Amino acid sequence: MLTALIIDDEAPSREELKALLAAHVDVEVLGECSNAVEGLAAIHRLRPDVVFLDIQMPRVSGLEMVGMIEASALPRIVFVTAYDAHALKAFEEHATDYLLKPIDPLRLGKTLDWLRTGARPAAPAYPGLAPALRHVPCMGLNRIFLLAIDQIEFVHTDLAGVQVVSATRQGLTELTLKLLQERTPLVRCHRQYLVNLDHLAEMQLLENGGADIITRSGRQVPVSRRYLRELKDRLLIS
Amino acid sequence: MFAQINHIALVGALLQQMCVYLVVAYLLSKTPLFAPLMQVTVRLPGRLVCYLVFSGFCIMGTYLGFQVDDAIANTRAIGAVLGGMMGGPLVGLAVGLTGGLHRYSLGGFSATACAVSTVTEGLIGGVLHLYMLRRGKAYLLLDPAIAFGITLVAELCQMTIILLLARPFDQAARLVAHIALPMMVSNSFGAALFMRLILDRKETLEKYSIAFSAKALRIAERSVGVLVNGFNAHNCAQVAGIIREETGVGAVAITDREKVLGFVGVGADHHLPGMAISSAHTLRAISHNEVVYADGAALPYGCSVTKDCKLGSCLVIPLRGAENQVIGTIKLYEPKTKFFSSLNRTLGEGIARLLSSQLLSGRIEEQQRLLAQAEIKLLQAQINPHFLFNALNTLAAVIRRNPESARQLVQYLSTFFRKSLKRTSNDATLQDEIEHVDAYLHIELARFADRLQVSFDVPDDLLELRLPAFSLQPIVENAIKHGISQLLEPGTIVISARRSHEVLTITVQDSAGLYQRRPESDGLGMGLVDRRIQLRYGPGFGIETECQPDCWTRVHIRLPAESERGAC
Repeated sequence: MLTALIIDDEAPSREELKALLAAHVDVEVLGECSNAVEGLAAIHRLRPDVVFLDIQMPRVSGLEMVGMIEASALPRIVFVTAYDAHALKAFEEHATDYLLKPIDPLRLGKTLDWLRTGARPAAPAYPGLAPALRHVPCMGLNRIFLLAIDQIEFVHTDLAGVQVVSATRQGLTELTLKLLQERTPLVRCHRQYLVNLDHLAEMQLLENGGADIITRSGRQVPVSRRYLRELKDRLLIS
Repeated sequence: MFAQINHIALVGALLQQMCVYLVVAYLLSKTPLFAPLMQVTVRLPGRLVCYLVFSGFCIMGTYLGFQVDDAIANTRAIGAVLGGMMGGPLVGLAVGLTGGLHRYSLGGFSATACAVSTVTEGLIGGVLHLYMLRRGKAYLLLDPAIAFGITLVAELCQMTIILLLARPFDQAARLVAHIALPMMVSNSFGAALFMRLILDRKETLEKYSIAFSAKALRIAERSVGVLVNGFNAHNCAQVAGIIREETGVGAVAITDREKVLGFVGVGADHHLPGMAISSAHTLRAISHNEVVYADGAALPYGCSVTKDCKLGSCLVIPLRGAENQVIGTIKLYEPKTKFFSSLNRTLGEGIARLLSSQLLSGRIEEQQRLLAQAEIKLLQAQINPHFLFNALNTLAAVIRRNPESARQLVQYLSTFFRKSLKRTSNDATLQDEIEHVDAYLHIELARFADRLQVSFDVPDDLLELRLPAFSLQPIVENAIKHGISQLLEPGTIVISARRSHEVLTITVQDSAGLYQRRPESDGLGMGLVDRRIQLRYGPGFGIETECQPDCWTRVHIRLPAESERGAC
């Protein structure tokens, strides 16, 4: 049994793919999403075996989206595109599976056969395909928005999830702290915090060996003892 | 009695030498040396020439004079006075000094008096020059009557000075009694005639250049725009006809590098358009890129077609195109019975330059036209891949769900492609453009389903207005590609048109507000549309963009409101 998720911004496209997959009894479509932000949430929530991922999508492309998922949480990805000479070249180089729209049912059958064998590329090559992370998709006040990396003051986890904070906005993201630490210039300063040092206004050293960072917009970010040394090195303070 | 006869003889003799004097002046007027003298001079080089020439005349006047009572009756005053009048007080002084010192060196009882009086005469001319210049009446200096008067005054002064300075006085008085009348008469007349000579020379030159300019201007006026439309037999014959009428030469021919394109005039019966070039002169003009003038004497001219040809001389001037390459020649002929006037020679070369630049600008226009066509092709080619495959994919889905609406979609798709491919001309009506966009949008509506809404707001009376083809679709495509398709929520596109003060403004508004000035390659379609409109209507028209981030982007296409226009 293969569980699948369809992420594509065009309704007719999703409809068509769903219809084609319906011909394969061992494939169960868990859901469909019309953009990358919904897609990220659905991947984390539904944990599908395979994601059929459109490349051209609003704001965050399929390729960018793949870069927003931690390697361990990454399902098998089958890229779907109508025409993108650039991406096709990259797929060939990275031995990534892809389908061309309109989708040929025979080609889809072969892809499914291959997926059923459970074979995975030796090392997931998707992050190599993904362009650098430029912004972080967030949910806030019932609205999806993108925060540019250089706008972010800090990121922290709380009970609700991962909170992204800029001078003017705040929202929940599907991206993990670990991934943000790896793929962005944000710096770890606490088990639950990443900070953007470009927004640092001052740092107050505390008696317990830790510190507090005050950001340009006056917000307070804790620095734990464990990360203080590293942070000082980065700031060239001894 | 004897004294009386002597008087008249002296007048005659002086007038005679004045004639010699004027002949020299006349000959000099044919040389370039005379050019600065033809106007009242204020510049240094002109003054220098003025000094040299009039000093020469001054000395010549002394030599041409003859002995009277141990003194010299002469026409020296003309040089000094005119030098002062034309060159100013300094030149007058210098000429007077030169002439005076020269006279002094010849000796005689009146030597000092004559030297002083020559300087005085030069100064009198100079003072008049200054006076007239100050009064803003410099033109009066060239008036022969004024020259007559002032020379008369100067001669009176001279006589007075002789009486005052020359000793013994009785000899001086006798001398003055002898020479006063002849010198006053001959010098004044001489000065007036000299001035007349200058004026004549000036008028001739002006008439010549007026005639030349008038002819050149008329040829330019009549031939403008003819060759711009192409360097072919028809246009060349027309231009050759114009040149022949205006210059009055025997015949005019225009050739390209191989054959005669147009021939008008004497000998047109056997010099036929389309014939290969056979004249050695023409071949030489083409291969050496130089003007060849066969006047029939120094360089013999013989018709290369038939011995009976009446043409006797020929001027061949190369026509030069881009990078000074010879692209043909223009040939002016005169029959054996007529001289080739130098006016026509100069004119011929001017005409060749004129035609060359017309040909060049014709070529540039042609290139711009080709460029515009190539850009249409580019716009057409740009549509294809993304749009086509997405459309086909949409179609595949719709066929499954609703065959009837799929059939409609196929209709829209074919309408869109047909209209895209048919646009080879540069021109369309607003209606054409709206239909093109409408077909396009129907496919995008199916593709984006509930994410896209479209509305048109175009008054019917604007539908007949004309605009460059392919102006609207690329803008709408941009609004979808960089606008609506990048929205996470549904979006709207509004296409409207307004006319005010003979300017048509078409506005495409999307509800995304994501417009950013993009690097060249991305906004290719929009950039091309803008450039084509500006190229055609000037920099006041074209595309203007405004954006309210996250609210809307508006792209305005501004054009003159034209309803009729010839194919371009």
